[in-house]
Amino acid sequence: MRSSTISAIFMALAGAFLLYSLNYDTRLIEARVQSAERAAEVARGDIAVLKAERAHLARPERIEALARAQGLKPPSEKQFVRDGAASDIITGSTRR
Amino acid sequence: MRPAPDKTPEWPNNGPPHARDEPSGRRAFALRRLSVTATILLAFGIVGGQLVHLAAKGDSGLTLAVSEPIASSFARPDIVDRNGRILATDIEMPSLFADPSVILDRDEVAETLAGIFPDLDAAELRHALSDRARRFVWIRRGLAPATAQRVHDLGLPGLAFRGELKRAYPGGRLAGHVLGTVNIDNKGLSGIERHIDDVIGVEAVAGATRSDHAPIRLSLDIGVQYAIEDEMARAIRRYGAESAAGIVIDVTTGEILGSASLPGVDPARPLEAADPARLDRVSGGTFELGSIFKMATIAMALDGGNASPDTILDVTEPIIDGTTTIRDLHPAGRPLTVAEVFTHSSNVGAAMLALDAGSERHRAFLGKLGLLTPLATEAGPVAAPQVPQRWERIEQITVAYGHGIAVAPMQFAAAAAALVNGGEIVQPTYLKRQPGTESAAGSNRARTVTPRTSARINELLRLNVTDSAGTGRRADVPGYKVGGKTGTAEIAVAGGYNKNAVISSFLAAFPSDQPKYVVLVSLFEPKPTAETGGEIAAGVNAAPSAGRLIRRIAPLLGVLPEGTVAAVEE
Repeated sequence: MRSSTISAIFMALAGAFLLYSLNYDTRLIEARVQSAERAAEVARGDIAVLKAERAHLARPERIEALARAQGLKPPSEKQFVRDGAASDIITGSTRR
Repeated sequence: MRPAPDKTPEWPNNGPPHARDEPSGRRAFALRRLSVTATILLAFGIVGGQLVHLAAKGDSGLTLAVSEPIASSFARPDIVDRNGRILATDIEMPSLFADPSVILDRDEVAETLAGIFPDLDAAELRHALSDRARRFVWIRRGLAPATAQRVHDLGLPGLAFRGELKRAYPGGRLAGHVLGTVNIDNKGLSGIERHIDDVIGVEAVAGATRSDHAPIRLSLDIGVQYAIEDEMARAIRRYGAESAAGIVIDVTTGEILGSASLPGVDPARPLEAADPARLDRVSGGTFELGSIFKMATIAMALDGGNASPDTILDVTEPIIDGTTTIRDLHPAGRPLTVAEVFTHSSNVGAAMLALDAGSERHRAFLGKLGLLTPLATEAGPVAAPQVPQRWERIEQITVAYGHGIAVAPMQFAAAAAALVNGGEIVQPTYLKRQPGTESAAGSNRARTVTPRTSARINELLRLNVTDSAGTGRRADVPGYKVGGKTGTAEIAVAGGYNKNAVISSFLAAFPSDQPKYVVLVSLFEPKPTAETGGEIAAGVNAAPSAGRLIRRIAPLLGVLPEGTVAAVEE
């Protein structure tokens, strides 16, 4: 009876320490996960800012002014041909 | 002699069992008590040590949890155009708050912050900070990072920042009316933003956690949208108009490729939308649109078999109803065919066709086109049409040429799309439809006119642009087969109409042999200029504006010009 009581106490203590240890490990992992989630959220936020900035820089009113400064104009109806139609338009290095 | 036997029993350990075990039992009991006590003390010691450790570690999260505000913002999905280009997105921005219980000198805080935020009410802030029972007071939300840095550099105790999601519109005012606005908590108030709240849903978040929703893909094309806004701005400058509105609709799917009303609004400034001068004239107001309504009147006559394009009408005499006399603005002085009634924009001819159809049919036809009932899109309800209470002879006459009935340009453009696409009603939408799905063909396939009538209307629209007498000839764009109808509506004032203040509109469809897009341009109160020869009619301002717009957007929409190809092939 005594030995069973003592062994039960030791088992209880061992279990308590094991649970304590597991609890700490879990908290540690949880902290790491939270840290990773925060990092991911920060990265997502940064990406959102960069995408918004890119969209802001690519807004048509800005592109139009830059394009016109380069001597470009909106396409006219004379610049379109159907596939296979003979034309003198040079595209890149290919003459069609 | 044998000694007398010892009467003492032969008990081991010199005593009876109870006397022999008593001391050792006490010891064992004391030992057990000691060990249990030690174990309990050890356990309490461990717990106490851990508490001391945590206290020494000074985890500030405990304090933050106490002062954590209840207020939360909302994470919203991005809004993109039909090609995936961003129109609205959430970005994290710092918001400034104060903990009055920690602030040392509230006067200093209020005055210093008022120096950084000129519109900050220092007295109100001082009052808010004086309540030390409060642990959280918002000071300014959605700060620019540079401003937040300036506040941070002050080093004032009791001030802190919290990251929040704020709506950003990278395109500025682009499509401002359509996108709508959100409030300080990032909750949708109007436009597509409101639609997102009502239909798709937004998530309340305590920090700056972005939404997991897929982006909302609109039917708008940023390139087309910008072209409309730019051309409307040019038209306002060129013709001295007070405002302008333009819309482009895909006649098959009902998708709105672009919709603009100038002066526009900045979705990042919700108060701008309350300015009456910045009303969304595409769908937020109803107007008498004038002669573009003749398109519906003549479609009714052709579809009902009452007339053909060659039917001759005697329009030489004005129509008189009581004290009202209806005349043509530019009388031809001879009878006109129905086609000429269209191209000459004859009020008398249109009125004759309406009277011939009868009031019931006239009204029923406009109802079939959806011009008499409220319309709604994802951006909100379209202003309800104002229709005559009674449908007597005079109402029939005036409605025939677009007076006495007021509709939003959006509603008329949708009706016009149904007339030119073969006769099928389309529901205008701001959401991109998926090609090949059932919804791509529109949610409502009710028919308005027969395909033959639709084809005839398209011929008349084209004739009005190509004919030398057509009112829409200045809208022509080589290669794109533009067809259209002008409408010049005098603006109603107390006691009648102001002849010098008009709404000039041009309803265009292209390419006219099988229209893919409808374009409606309306200029509000254009002024006579040297370019227009001192006129303010739609043919000299709205029509050329629509033509310039079509020239810009047709390549963006993939509409191939025709004449050029033939010339190249020669």
